[in-house]
Amino acid sequence: MTSTLFKTAARLIVPLTLIFAAYIAMRGHNSPGGGFIGGLMASVGLILYRMAHGRAALLRLLPFHPRVLVALGLAIAYVTALVPLALGQPLLTSLVIDGLYIGLGQTIHFASAVFFDIGVLLVVVGVTVGMIQRLSEEVDSQHIKESGCPTTAASSTGGNPR
Amino acid sequence: MNPSLIVLLVIIPAAAGLICVPLINRLNTCRLVGVVGFALNLGLALSLLGACSQGDTSAIVTQLGGWSAPYGIALVFDALSGLMVAAASLVALACLIHASGSLPDPVERRYFHPLVNFMMAGVNLSFLTGDLFNLFVAFEIMLMASYGLLVLGRGKAQLAQAYKYVLLNLVASAIFVIAAGMVYGLLGTLNLADMARITTELAARDALPAGFTAVGVLLLFVFTLKAGVFPLWFWLPDTYPTCPIAITALFGGVLTKVGGYAVARIFPLVFLVGDAAAVLQQIILIGAVLTMAVGVFGALAYRTLRRSLAMFIIVGVGYALFGVAVGEPGAIGGSVFYMAQSMIVMAAAFLACGLIETHLTSDDLSDGGGLLKTHPWLGVLFLIGLLSIAGLPPTSGFYGKFAIIRDALGAGFTWTALIAIGVGALSILAVLRIWCESFWGPDPVVQPRDAEARAAALAREPSASGYAALVLLIAAALCIGILPQRVVGIANAAGQQVTDPGAYIAAVMGPDARPPAAESHHDTPAPAPAHGHDAAHDTGHDATHAPQTHTPAAPHPPAPEAQTDPTPDPHQDLPVAQPAPDPVPDVGPVPTPEPEPEPEPAPSAPRTGPEFRVQAHGQQMAAAPHDPAMERRP
Repeated sequence: MTSTLFKTAARLIVPLTLIFAAYIAMRGHNSPGGGFIGGLMASVGLILYRMAHGRAALLRLLPFHPRVLVALGLAIAYVTALVPLALGQPLLTSLVIDGLYIGLGQTIHFASAVFFDIGVLLVVVGVTVGMIQRLSEEVDSQHIKESGCPTTAASSTGGNPR
Repeated sequence: MNPSLIVLLVIIPAAAGLICVPLINRLNTCRLVGVVGFALNLGLALSLLGACSQGDTSAIVTQLGGWSAPYGIALVFDALSGLMVAAASLVALACLIHASGSLPDPVERRYFHPLVNFMMAGVNLSFLTGDLFNLFVAFEIMLMASYGLLVLGRGKAQLAQAYKYVLLNLVASAIFVIAAGMVYGLLGTLNLADMARITTELAARDALPAGFTAVGVLLLFVFTLKAGVFPLWFWLPDTYPTCPIAITALFGGVLTKVGGYAVARIFPLVFLVGDAAAVLQQIILIGAVLTMAVGVFGALAYRTLRRSLAMFIIVGVGYALFGVAVGEPGAIGGSVFYMAQSMIVMAAAFLACGLIETHLTSDDLSDGGGLLKTHPWLGVLFLIGLLSIAGLPPTSGFYGKFAIIRDALGAGFTWTALIAIGVGALSILAVLRIWCESFWGPDPVVQPRDAEARAAALAREPSASGYAALVLLIAAALCIGILPQRVVGIANAAGQQVTDPGAYIAAVMGPDARPPAAESHHDTPAPAPAHGHDAAHDTGHDATHAPQTHTPAAPHPPAPEAQTDPTPDPHQDLPVAQPAPDPVPDVGPVPTPEPEPEPEPAPSAPRTGPEFRVQAHGQQMAAAPHDPAMERRP
């Protein structure tokens, strides 16, 4: 799994995946896409990075337990859902600004539902990366047990981040 | 009061669960958060119930995100759902208090608090939601958390049972999704009120789509599996008793009632119409009677305390469904009453069982006996709980059974009513057997080598919080039993609502039950209300809104321009077997121009009529990627 070819390819693929994930997440408002799918794509990118460069590299990229992302995402989604309630609107009501000026002569169609989607994205990334990371630790340790030597990918510092 | 506040009943436990995640190692904080959350929920549910029973509103409805029914998700708080939420919150509160004394700390740290809170969020959402697919989502939230709770603690036996439970529920969930898809295919909507409206219309014309009954049977399968109805009860007495007792009490009290509630809510409302009614009613009736019988014989037969009690959960579900099958308002009211009190007393019995177990060397009943001498008060509390389960008059179980059997006899269900009476008699026998063998009977024959263990067990001091939780539930059950008027009033109101879907439909869909055609249609800054809760603007139409609806986004009265361009009601021709874009939306439309008191200048955007609705239905979203009309304006 740790051929030079794969490592080099991962360097190219991972950023592209993440950018595409962001694109998919943002276009999901009125088209196919959205936070969930974007989140899954971003996790694929991160998992690919972990497969190529190992656990320590992923930890450098995400220097905290993925469950922090879950909590953060849920919190963002909750706040987005609850703010309208505080303003006397039904839960989850979206604030829409058509033609929000974002500088450089550009305007966008803005809906506050985007924050909810970002929350969903973070939750999905946190859950998926957390689970796969945990499972691949099992695989790594199995590998160590069987072959007596760690894979290159797992050679970094041990201990699971729980 | 702002009707959108009813979402707090879901949000509070969900937020409490979230707060508990990072604080998972500070047990006291978690306990406090949970207790405060459930107490808030209970208080809110009771005060809303009070508002509901005052007469000015029969149902409080909020449309999430301001998307009006049937497009958005409606949450409905009425007598039925409110009573269930209140009882479930009380049970959760008590179980949490009990758990804080009885669960070992390491178990509690394994995310017990977040899971309990998330599960109650799912439970409350199941009770409140007015949308079939959202009910599925709520079930999933509840089940996911319950899977986690089920494996907390003991280990091997529990895992084996949890495996069965997860597998069965996954199958049920898959069938639920399939059935929901079929409902959408047949009726073109998943909003319960809209479904009820359409099926009533279709049944009146004897034009129910083929397969309607089959979909009803599928949904019945899902709900009765959750409820533990014969023949789908088999998992229950194995699964629930293996958990730590506070979790068993929570599951036994609340989870099966969610299935019972779903049957009571959805079947009289949507499926018991026309030809389908006869078949489904027979299935529910036979299932209910067999459930009662199996439950009571199981309770008599099992030799262990927990399993005997678990069988009484099944008996209770049988009675509740029997009332639904009878279908009279009084009987359904009785069912609702019975379900609500059964949550409380079943949980109380299990919590008492947990306290008893601290004094027993095993949970086999033949090892019990003679506890009354050492722990008289526990015996009294347990006896009250058991008698409520059996339904002896001064306790809370009596009224529900009485109303159900009375109406069943009145409606001609003689044989089944006689069976229900027989089951009641056997229940008394079964509970007295449990009580006598644990408390009253002679001391068990103790082998000399066990004597020391038994003495130690008897002297063990159960936690004060366990007693507090038990007293809380028993006191609530006694209040309901001795002064049942309030609860009976609420339950009968629920029975009326369930048997007369008109009120429910009107509350969710608006009094004229018109789909809000092109309601979200203004993409100009026209002063026209962009959505329904712009109440101040609606004064012109308020006369048409029945006062009992709190509907913030009641289907909007036709937009002002409707005068110049009367919108054909797209739902009028709704035998619509397909949700697909209706190519001829003009078939059989009844233009319903309403008198406009003050027509406003037509906004600049030309109206596109019913075709637009098809778009809004999600079929052609891509065609108008950034159509602001798809959005809500605050």
